[in-house]
Amino acid sequence: MTAPRPRVAALAIAVALVLADSSIVVLALPEIYRELDTSVAGVTWVLVSFNLVMALAAVPAAHLARRIGPGRAAAIGLAVFAGAGLACGLAAELSTLIAARCVQALGGAIAITAVLELLPATVGSERRAVAIWAAAGATGAALGPAVGGVLTELVSWQSIFLVQAPIAIAVGVPVLAVARHEAATGIISGELRQTGRPHLLANLALAMTSAAIAAALFLLVLLLIEGWRLSPIGAAIVVSVMPLAALLGSRLGPAAGSERARAAAGAILVAGGLGGLALLPDAEVILTVPPQLLVGVGLALVLSALTETALAGRAPQAIHGGWTISARHAGVAIGLIALTPLFTADIAEQRSDAINAGTAVVLDSQVEPLLKLELAQRIEDRLEGEKGKVPTIGPVFEPLPEDPDDREDVVALREELQDQLDRGATHAFSPSFGLGALIGLLALIPIGLARRVEL
Amino acid sequence: MNSAARGNMLVGVAIVASLALVLSYLAAGGSSYAPAKVQDPCQDRPWRDPEGLQQIAEQFSLSALDGAACELGVSRETLARALATPESRERFAERYGISDAKLARAIRAGLLRAIDDAERAGAVPPFLGAPLRATVRQIPIDQAIELIQDARSLLDNLENFLGPAQGLLEQFLP
Repeated sequence: MTAPRPRVAALAIAVALVLADSSIVVLALPEIYRELDTSVAGVTWVLVSFNLVMALAAVPAAHLARRIGPGRAAAIGLAVFAGAGLACGLAAELSTLIAARCVQALGGAIAITAVLELLPATVGSERRAVAIWAAAGATGAALGPAVGGVLTELVSWQSIFLVQAPIAIAVGVPVLAVARHEAATGIISGELRQTGRPHLLANLALAMTSAAIAAALFLLVLLLIEGWRLSPIGAAIVVSVMPLAALLGSRLGPAAGSERARAAAGAILVAGGLGGLALLPDAEVILTVPPQLLVGVGLALVLSALTETALAGRAPQAIHGGWTISARHAGVAIGLIALTPLFTADIAEQRSDAINAGTAVVLDSQVEPLLKLELAQRIEDRLEGEKGKVPTIGPVFEPLPEDPDDREDVVALREELQDQLDRGATHAFSPSFGLGALIGLLALIPIGLARRVEL
Repeated sequence: MNSAARGNMLVGVAIVASLALVLSYLAAGGSSYAPAKVQDPCQDRPWRDPEGLQQIAEQFSLSALDGAACELGVSRETLARALATPESRERFAERYGISDAKLARAIRAGLLRAIDDAERAGAVPPFLGAPLRATVRQIPIDQAIELIQDARSLLDNLENFLGPAQGLLEQFLP
């Protein structure tokens, strides 16, 4: 069999790869939205479907891993994950993409619950195994959007899925060795004892904080790309603050306090960061950095502390790990399902308000009346051409008038109109960020009530 | 420092950091960073000091837009964009379920309100009100839309309407 260290690395990468997939397409959604000619609500299902199937399949997948052997289950899971990833990358329609995402989630659920069963024997310590598994999951989830954004910009949204296949196969090689060992020895699991029922409060808190974190990530990406018109790679750079902060937060570790204190501090930071995003005072990228720092550190603290709480003293790890995966992904799916209608309605309303405010600026301006009419006409044409989206307003004012005075007036108008659009786009996301903050704060209730071992 | 004290400190730091962020963004105007609200078109809008035909025509157009928008129950800005082209007018009529006759009535009502406003602002002398109103009541819808967009033609028409007395217009317009 493979030496432990590379095998541990392979298992950790497998967890990170699968859990990154719950968020890796976030930055590609606007591109998928345009290319597959769908709606914001429709494209959200590319994310929701994956998380929903993960939530539903995680626990049954863990039972499967126990029944057929974690090595074999992990190998099958990774193969299904890789195959479905290829299907995602080749999908030409939204329905095909969503169907392939469901299969991908099924494979992913089998793989990561099986990995949790394999890790303790590989690293020699149950506690260390849980810590590696939780850290790999948090890192994958946090890094996913940035990686997805870079791939979307440099290659295509399809490449996000296509590159996963070889990685899944590569990490599957050491797992296959375990599967062969299981087949040869007939030992299908090193952990036969069963201790404890699922930790309801920790899993509930995981679901709630995951919903809040999904809100932060998903909405921020949409704000940056659809609202503020950043490119996917630009947005990827901006949102990379969150995983970097998460890495910082993960260094705090158990030394920073009890699991409950870390979970509470993490939930407060996530809620505070979302509160900041709900109250952005300007459409400036730099203003998203402090909230992201808080969310990033917070997510590292809360996810690892709650996962450790949910798994502590419980066996088999795969089953209880399955519950934590189920809770996290259910939280993400419910968060997205709940927030999508809210922010799509807000975007439509704020877009209309911003356009009206911008038109008022044009009508009340000092520019020549016929030019006003022409501008009103161009604004209308632009709106018609970019149905339902926040329009790019610069071209409305091209070509600029030759007369220097008129040119100055028109440039000032363009800036005022852009300001109104920025205000509308930013404000459209405020209620959804605010709701995310509230969910994060409400997670303090189960965190406060949770005991480390609730058997 | 024991684990409980470290935990309390961690929670305390999280609370302080979160409050500091939220309060500083609130202080910077985060709660009011939204598009400006447009004015209710049914409310009077004060005229800027009109100087010359072009300024009067512009103020007149804006008043007329307000009046028509008020009649239709939409904003002045929505109506201005709707009247930009025949296609946008069609889309607007379809979206709001407005017939041509209703649109024509609203536009004429808007133009009449603009004449009232112009009189009140002293931009048009009282004796010109009646012929202006007569002109507005007679013109077909397409011409009324042109007028609402650029009232200079109304004033030009008025010059023709007044015929030999058109010199008076130049004398009385500010």
